Amino acid sequence: MAENKKNVAHNGRIRVAVDAMGGDYAPEEIVKGAVLAAEKDDVKIFLVGPRPILEKELAKYKLTNGSAIHIVEASEFIKENESPVDVIRRKPNCSVAVAAKMVKSGEADALFSAGSSGAAAISAIQFIGMLNGVYRPALVGSLGSFAPNTVMVDLGANVDCKPHQFLAFAIAGSVYAKKFLNIADPKIALLSTGSEESKGSEAVREAHALLRNSGLNFIGNIEGSDILSSKANVIVCDGFVGNVLLKFYESIGGYAQVWTEQKLKKYPPLRALVRLMFRRLFPATRISRETERQGGGILWGIDGVVKIAHGASRAPQIANAIESAKEAVKAGVVESLKSELAKFSQGGKL
Amino acid sequence: MSVEEQVREIVARITRVDKSIITRQSTFKEIKADSLDVVQALVAVEETFGIEIPDEEAQKFQNFGDFVSYVENRVAQKERV
Repeated sequence: MAENKKNVAHNGRIRVAVDAMGGDYAPEEIVKGAVLAAEKDDVKIFLVGPRPILEKELAKYKLTNGSAIHIVEASEFIKENESPVDVIRRKPNCSVAVAAKMVKSGEADALFSAGSSGAAAISAIQFIGMLNGVYRPALVGSLGSFAPNTVMVDLGANVDCKPHQFLAFAIAGSVYAKKFLNIADPKIALLSTGSEESKGSEAVREAHALLRNSGLNFIGNIEGSDILSSKANVIVCDGFVGNVLLKFYESIGGYAQVWTEQKLKKYPPLRALVRLMFRRLFPATRISRETERQGGGILWGIDGVVKIAHGASRAPQIANAIESAKEAVKAGVVESLKSELAKFSQGGKL
Repeated sequence: MSVEEQVREIVARITRVDKSIITRQSTFKEIKADSLDVVQALVAVEETFGIEIPDEEAQKFQNFGDFVSYVENRVAQKERV
């Protein structure tokens, strides 16, 4: 298997190991999504889970490109009420863990799971491993319409962060901005409660010093009011702040519509116009619109492409996620991040 | 290298803290180790010394010293066999 190591297509096909038992609608929607994704001839999908269950699901479809889907046996899987950490000691051969091990061994180029994101992250950390200099993986996302040239990291993978993690987030965000937003030298800012370096939590203050001395294009702290100003291309924060902001940001459109319609209830024509306008504009406030289109997000910092999706994803999102995992392998995102991180590891900054 | 020193190096590598701050009295909380750090440390120690640490035993560890003492005992038992 060694010759099939990472980022190398197998017979022209990118191999994606899919946790077929992960997700609210698994395995039905996962298998259906895999079948949709396999309609393209540049992907090979390994459905990982209990063979009898997956064979029964696959039998529902007339596969036009049958050889592109294979079943890999994993008799166990992580259930909703189980701790993600169980993957390591209690269920090291569950579906998501087996899929991760396939990436590590070189049998697959990418892992995809719509199951517990904690279990997917822990499987990836334990069985694939982190890139040098990265402590834990992070989620990176573009702010979309209001600030199309701005990404935020971390969006929720790390609730409590150590100062050096902010530096790794900045590097990951920088690679994302270069690769996906075509920004040559992304401006990086640290989200805090004030522009002065003395502002923020202890971890944020320590992170400021690390970023200032990093050699990155660090422009200092920015406050919440600057997030959409496009002052920065990469906004760094811990996953607690990032996740709260993400959900707040996504909720604004809906509440703004309700509020505006209430204010205009005496003017039905205007109200109808506002409703129409918001129907068009509402998605603009969704930071994860692009993430939804792609069917999920990549866990940045793992030594392999790991794609996770919302548990409620249906077949079309699953197919999109598999497709974008494939594109991430082709784009060499892991190699790019590895190369950037090496510059900092060599300098002893990570 | 002593068992204690090897365990300290494993814990320091996983939690990314300076090993000099890990004393026998240090709790996992004090060295900012979360549940994943602890499980990764247990697995790494098991693999390094070829021993098993049951979850019910691991849950009794109050600090780094308890962890080291347990590993030292298991390693000694193994060597006697």
